[in-house]
Amino acid sequence: MKKRSKKTWLCAPLYLWCILFVGLPLVYVAGVSFCTRDATWGITAVFTLENYRMIVDPMYLRVFTESLLLSAVCTVIALLIGYPFAYAMVKATPARQALLMMLVIVPFWTSALIRANGWMLILRANGPINSALKALGVIQRPLKLLYTRGAVMLGYVYTMLPFTILPCYTALARMDFSLVAAARDLGARPLRVFFTITLPLTMGGVMSAVTLTLIPSLGIFFLSDLLGGGKTVLIGNLIQNQLLTARNTPFGAALSVVLLLLTALVMWVQRKMGGETRIL
Amino acid sequence: MKLKLAAFALSIVLVCSVLAGTAGAEEEKTLNVFTWSLYLDQDTILTPFTEETGIEVNYDYFDSNEEMLMKLQAVDAGTYDIVLASDYILDIARKEGLLMKLDKEKLSNWDNLNPVYLGQFYDPNDEYCVPYAAGTPLIIYDPAYVDFPITGYASLWDERLEDSVVLMDDARNVIGITLKTMGESFNVTDKAVLDAAEEKLMQLKKNIRALDYNAPYATMISGEATVGYMFTQHVLYTLQERPDMVVVYPEEGMGFGIDCCVIPANAPHPDNAHLFLNFLLRPEIGAQIAQVQLMQNCNKAADALLGDDFKNNPVLYIPDEVLGDAEFIEDVGDAQLYYNDIWTRFKQY
Amino acid sequence: MQAVEKRKRRGRAVYIAIVLTFLYLPMLMVALFSFNPSKTAGVMTGFTLEWYRELFTDKEIAKTLANSLKLAALSVGTAAVIGTAGAVALARKRMRLQGMMEGMAMLPAMVPEVVLGMAFLAAFTFAGLRLGMLTLYIAHTTFCIPYIFVLVRSRLASIDPQLEEAARDLGARPARVFFDITLPLALPAIVAGMLMAFAMSLDDVVISYFVTGPGAQTLPLKVYSSLKVGVTPEINALCTLTLGLVLIIVLIAQRIRGAKSS
Repeated sequence: MKKRSKKTWLCAPLYLWCILFVGLPLVYVAGVSFCTRDATWGITAVFTLENYRMIVDPMYLRVFTESLLLSAVCTVIALLIGYPFAYAMVKATPARQALLMMLVIVPFWTSALIRANGWMLILRANGPINSALKALGVIQRPLKLLYTRGAVMLGYVYTMLPFTILPCYTALARMDFSLVAAARDLGARPLRVFFTITLPLTMGGVMSAVTLTLIPSLGIFFLSDLLGGGKTVLIGNLIQNQLLTARNTPFGAALSVVLLLLTALVMWVQRKMGGETRIL
Repeated sequence: MKLKLAAFALSIVLVCSVLAGTAGAEEEKTLNVFTWSLYLDQDTILTPFTEETGIEVNYDYFDSNEEMLMKLQAVDAGTYDIVLASDYILDIARKEGLLMKLDKEKLSNWDNLNPVYLGQFYDPNDEYCVPYAAGTPLIIYDPAYVDFPITGYASLWDERLEDSVVLMDDARNVIGITLKTMGESFNVTDKAVLDAAEEKLMQLKKNIRALDYNAPYATMISGEATVGYMFTQHVLYTLQERPDMVVVYPEEGMGFGIDCCVIPANAPHPDNAHLFLNFLLRPEIGAQIAQVQLMQNCNKAADALLGDDFKNNPVLYIPDEVLGDAEFIEDVGDAQLYYNDIWTRFKQY
Repeated sequence: MQAVEKRKRRGRAVYIAIVLTFLYLPMLMVALFSFNPSKTAGVMTGFTLEWYRELFTDKEIAKTLANSLKLAALSVGTAAVIGTAGAVALARKRMRLQGMMEGMAMLPAMVPEVVLGMAFLAAFTFAGLRLGMLTLYIAHTTFCIPYIFVLVRSRLASIDPQLEEAARDLGARPARVFFDITLPLALPAIVAGMLMAFAMSLDDVVISYFVTGPGAQTLPLKVYSSLKVGVTPEINALCTLTLGLVLIIVLIAQRIRGAKSS
């Protein structure tokens, strides 16, 4: 037991780094959220709860619910695409697996703006999809693909995909597939095996994927502007706007604090679920 | 034990690396400029300046005026020697005491400036700002798809334009043109008037194809939208690809904007900054700015150097009788919050 | 039975191909348009290598690219050490404040960038740090840690602890156990985390914007800021080159591995 305790020292850098560079700055943000906005830009240190009262305004509540809905739906879609992909990855040879891992992440080493621009070129009125459909005589006038809700969702799913594939992959890679084989030998049907063995055993990975996509996607601000034509406001846009355009830093900070609490909630749920997988 | 020591050492190193101040000695011959990327052209401005004076230019970028102001406040009006940004934001910066008074003794080329661009609201006594370039947002449309005359902002509300208008994604500009259709100013602060404007604005929503601040021209060029209201440069980009498009001077009156260079109050190299400003004010450099950036030229002495092509461009040279009393978008103080609320509702519903 | 297995394998290959196509589709468009002579047109108007020529002569891009790569390498490296060490320590034990610390380690990946950027800027100014490469490095390391931490931790969590215990019982010292058992087991997760963190660092605009200073501009900052004066096809060219180069390296590595294992 004594030997083991030495390992706890390994978390010292992490603790130190987090307190210094995450904890303290966020305490500052929390503090600002209770301050009053001054006339030009800055913050006056006068205590107020006004910023939190404003969030309950129907307009802002709607922004929150719409963003959550969009992020949740896109997270589920990304998981539905990503999990089978990770599963297929695990079944490949080890060299293949390394290759696939690289291939999944490499497109994301280039600018997000350029990638979004790539999608815009594809979805445009004069883009390849519309041109092809026109040439085939399926449509007369170009379909309106860009600047729609569908285009925004496409952008979110695309951005989330590697962040769902990789955690699912690491979870699946360490899973003991002999359990699956055993269940199959005992006559369980594939779907049943999946829901009683594979999925519960890899739930940790799925939850990591959710952690890495659901809440972070709430902060994305440029996708709905570029692919959705700026016609909807999501939390990310709202915070960006309050901090940088509306010059209402305290309100932006209050919105962020609410988002932080949401994050904490998601992570708490994840820990709960993570605990359950260990019992299984 | 080793592991424990290693971990301890690691944390110490980390803390030290962070706490170690990096306030090294400043290079004498440097100039830190802060503006949009590419807005100060490397080949025609920065390289010649460095060759002539031996002053190395550090080019730092921002993405929007508001980001610039936030950063400038955070560094206590230091760090940067030259900031190039838009009129209304420099007005706030000036009122906040973030700008340094220009030493006109060192700006021998000052008189090259066109007086039209001087004495404006953001700097009434011309103490802080050197005009760099100017522009006027205009309406542009595709005559192949729009079969009725577009004369001003009010035309954008026409029901024949359903789902086909692109506007800049900017609260002040779009609410501003709504106010103009009501015969009001761009800079209304009266809530009752703004409420009326909101009601009117909501009727525009069904015509909006996209709101795009940075690249509305792409939406026009691809045929995604058939009518647009956008900044000077974007109008010109659209015309480059689609010369068949028609430009409209809105009859309700136009908006106007000037981008200026300033020196922050605590700039580390004010002498170099003055040298640079005086360099920018040369006629040949002024001509380069207008031609490279495709903006209205603020340098009177440079006019003679600009070709007829440039001067006959209806987007860049708007007749005075039409331009009339074009109006600036100015800082509206607390009403800014109200403008933003209207904008959020407009986008959301 | 073999026929079924074969069909399954083909099904998986097809699925992988479809998803990869989806991932690469926008990049293919970007690659195509990097040869487009028009700066603004949304359709191909011809073929040119002009943008590649400009890319190679553009000193600004070279400088910002070098800054970005240096920054990404340094911060991902540091984050890998801190994140892995933390994950090893916290993988199986319950410590005081552990939940909170794990939450805190994850936060940088969850908080909207603009909030983190604002907070960093306030903290660094308060601490009297001069904005530049150092502040960029701290900020990037901070948001890189979660990607490595979460993957390594979830992988370590279910590695059989008996492996390490067995090694210790056989007299291996802790460092030996770590490097011979724990690290190799965690390696795939570390690599995956580093790949993701590298992507995040190379693409960060908002946080970098807040904490950067004179002479420490990164490529994404330049790309975003260029928008005011139009798109830059050189960036399309650069993305195409990056992608091409990395893909070639990956394929060569694959070849070498394949040759070794056979």
